[in-house]
Amino acid sequence: MNRRDALTRAAWLLGGTLSAPTLQAMNRWEQLVSNGRTSHQTNSFLTETQREIVARTAELIIPRTDTPGAIDAGVPAFIDLMLRDCYKKPVQDAFLTGLSDLERKNFLTLTPDQQTALLKQVEAEAQTSSSPTYWLLTKELTLLGYFTSEPGIKASFDYQPIPGKFVPIKIKPGQKDFMYGNQV
Amino acid sequence: MNLNIKADKAQTYDAIVIGSGMTGGWAAKELTEKGLNVLVLERGYELKHVADYKNAMKDPWEFPHRGRITNVAAEEHYATMFFSAKEGSQYLFANDKENPYIQKRPFNWIRAYHTGGKSLLWGKHTYRWNPQDFLANAKEGIGIDWPIRYEDLVPWYTYVEKFVGVSGQAEGLAVLPDSYFLPPMAMTAPEVHLKKSVAQKLNRPITIGRVAHLTKAMPQHLAVGRTDCQFRNRCTRGCPYGGYFSSLAATLPAARNTNRLTMVHNAIVKEILYDDKAQKAKGVRVIDQNTLEVREFYAKLIFLNAGTVGSTSILMNSKSSRFPNGMGNDSEQLGRNLMDHHLAIGARADVEGFENDYYFGARPGSLYIPRFRNWGTDKRSYLRGFGYQGGASRADWSRGAAETGFGADFKTRMTQPGPWKFSLTGFGEVLSNPNNRFYLSETETDKWGLPQLVFDADFGENERAMRKDIMNDAAEMLEAAGFKNVTPYDNPVAHMGLGIHEMGTARMGRDPKTSVLNKYNQVHACKNVFVTDGSGMTSSSNVNPSLTYMALTARAASYAVAQLKARNL
Ligand SMILES: Cc1cc2nc3c(=O)[nH]c(=O)nc-3n(C[C@H](O)[C@H](O)[C@H](O)COP(=O)(O)OP(=O)(O)OC[C@H]3O[C@@H](n4cnc5c(N)ncnc54)[C@H](O)[C@@H]3O)c2cc1C
Ligand code: SF4
Repeated sequence: MNRRDALTRAAWLLGGTLSAPTLQAMNRWEQLVSNGRTSHQTNSFLTETQREIVARTAELIIPRTDTPGAIDAGVPAFIDLMLRDCYKKPVQDAFLTGLSDLERKNFLTLTPDQQTALLKQVEAEAQTSSSPTYWLLTKELTLLGYFTSEPGIKASFDYQPIPGKFVPIKIKPGQKDFMYGNQV
Repeated sequence: MNLNIKADKAQTYDAIVIGSGMTGGWAAKELTEKGLNVLVLERGYELKHVADYKNAMKDPWEFPHRGRITNVAAEEHYATMFFSAKEGSQYLFANDKENPYIQKRPFNWIRAYHTGGKSLLWGKHTYRWNPQDFLANAKEGIGIDWPIRYEDLVPWYTYVEKFVGVSGQAEGLAVLPDSYFLPPMAMTAPEVHLKKSVAQKLNRPITIGRVAHLTKAMPQHLAVGRTDCQFRNRCTRGCPYGGYFSSLAATLPAARNTNRLTMVHNAIVKEILYDDKAQKAKGVRVIDQNTLEVREFYAKLIFLNAGTVGSTSILMNSKSSRFPNGMGNDSEQLGRNLMDHHLAIGARADVEGFENDYYFGARPGSLYIPRFRNWGTDKRSYLRGFGYQGGASRADWSRGAAETGFGADFKTRMTQPGPWKFSLTGFGEVLSNPNNRFYLSETETDKWGLPQLVFDADFGENERAMRKDIMNDAAEMLEAAGFKNVTPYDNPVAHMGLGIHEMGTARMGRDPKTSVLNKYNQVHACKNVFVTDGSGMTSSSNVNPSLTYMALTARAASYAVAQLKARNL
């Protein structure tokens, strides 16, 4: 059973479903995740510079607005931890390749607009890739890290750790999504 | 000498129950309530209801990996990775690396070694079998006939359901007999739409899943300390409310209330001891899982409830001059006819047109679509049928990973509910086949010196033919509802064990030459040993099995106590 089906199964057992794009993304990664060995048991997976690029990328994905951004929510450290603990060598390598590409392009010295433009390009390229890329990994982990963090959840959602009932309702205009304690 | 007699006395009970999971809990409850002093032996560690559900109340951000599977966890939990390696529930699953087994053909053996067993982990889908399920083998010449009929179980189903607490909707369907129900959970708008469309266009009924959750706690539930389900859907971390049925929250407390329950943990039952002179079992031999110390316990009555594979392997390990091939194995059927349900197959779709509809709460349950193939006038090229679980929900922020775009607008968009998605997953019946089996390895042992198990089982022609329909019929129903991008799927790696409903390896039957247990789950050739978990199942139906195991256990316990009182054991 691959990760996609594993998670789908877990999801329906618990009465939910996963979105098709999420499933697609998970499926693409699965092949690589499954055949590689663990590496990098050191404390930090990324170097200082690499971490800065990751932080900048994450912040461009989820910027600070009237609510906290990715950096406020501790996403860079989270990505570092996840890469080290939850991914195997081929995926880690794919991530590092994309990262050094940005490093070569002096990503950190570019203006915010230039950075955004460059990441749009990176994103377009990622769309055609059948394997995990720096972009896909960073985006997925930024969303996960942010929308399950305390600041991210409290600022973005109507958090209901103990809903007490299940009822069909109508959506009010502009209503925030609910978030429950079962999100992880 | 004198000392020994005293020691023996101290280790002697009226009954020993092996395993404290779904069925062991029922054996303990019934036997203690009927006046017996009962010892429950549990191989795993002690887990206390409420106090030990260490992750139940945690918020998402309290998990360092936000629940995701780490490399270390994946290595240790290979069979069960997709459930068990998750941060919140990992401690409730057995570690496969420490508890190895051999796969001659691919098999996933998913276990829970602690008080409560898998009753802490189950999906809680709770269905009665129908009368045909007990007749099909005989009619179709598959395996052997059941020694009991649906009618034999009806009072026991009702008895068990009242105590368990099953939420659901009475529908009056022959294919899915109604239970004694607590109020049903609600359906979402697209689910109601699917139900209507499928009824109109395909004439198939859909009902809300029947799940062992207290949608309205009754006095019998409150009496053991259980309260209403809070719709948090964090059940696999353990439920402090006792909102779902587990032996830990329900049957074991009931047994404890009698003051006739003794529990010993970390006690791996190695074998049942046979007394040649008396021609019955006299007790069990146990290995302490931590100290490796070997102890014996004695009783007049033994209930084997270690989970299908666990119980059957204990019988295999129980060798004596009377039973050189394992206790009760005169038929050579022990370990054979291993069945499971097949899954990892179905269809998904996008739903348009319900944008203003939503739901509040995290429902720990789904829809249920009862079997419709080979039922009534429908006739297929294969035997038996399948059902579906599934439902509709709105995509959350995680959809963003596969969408293009990033930045402030993207961030705002992810805080809104996403589009509706529908998913249906089939559960199909697997036929009894003597070549689907497991046996004891002659060379490999585990760290307690017990033989490792060798699994040798796979789906056959009938299952493969059925899978095509499971996939296509799911797509057909989603299309009947007018949903978009209907995508059927069949995971080619789906194999036995993943259905987590292993059963049949010490089957019930009328003839001791072809079966291990009689119609009361009693070992034909050793009358004071009862095996009342999934081991005894003669066929597998397509609905989830645990309710039937529980009903069989309560029935067997009642019979055993009557026999004991009549001095027949
Ligand atoms: C993720 C998951 C979802 C499921 N969903 C459903 C569902 O929706 N509906 C349904 O009907 N069923 C479901 N099941 C199946 C259900 O959990 C089992 O059918 C049920 O728990 C079986 O009960 P049991 O008493 O036979 O075994 P268990 O509940 O597993 O209990 C066996 C106990 O025996 C102990 N034991 C084992 N060996 C020994 C030994 N040698 N000595 C002493 N003790 C021993 C174990 O530690 C354990 O505590 C699901 C299972 C899983 C894993
Ligand atoms: S959903 Fe209900 S049964 Fe599950 S953990 Fe929450 S309260 Fe308990």
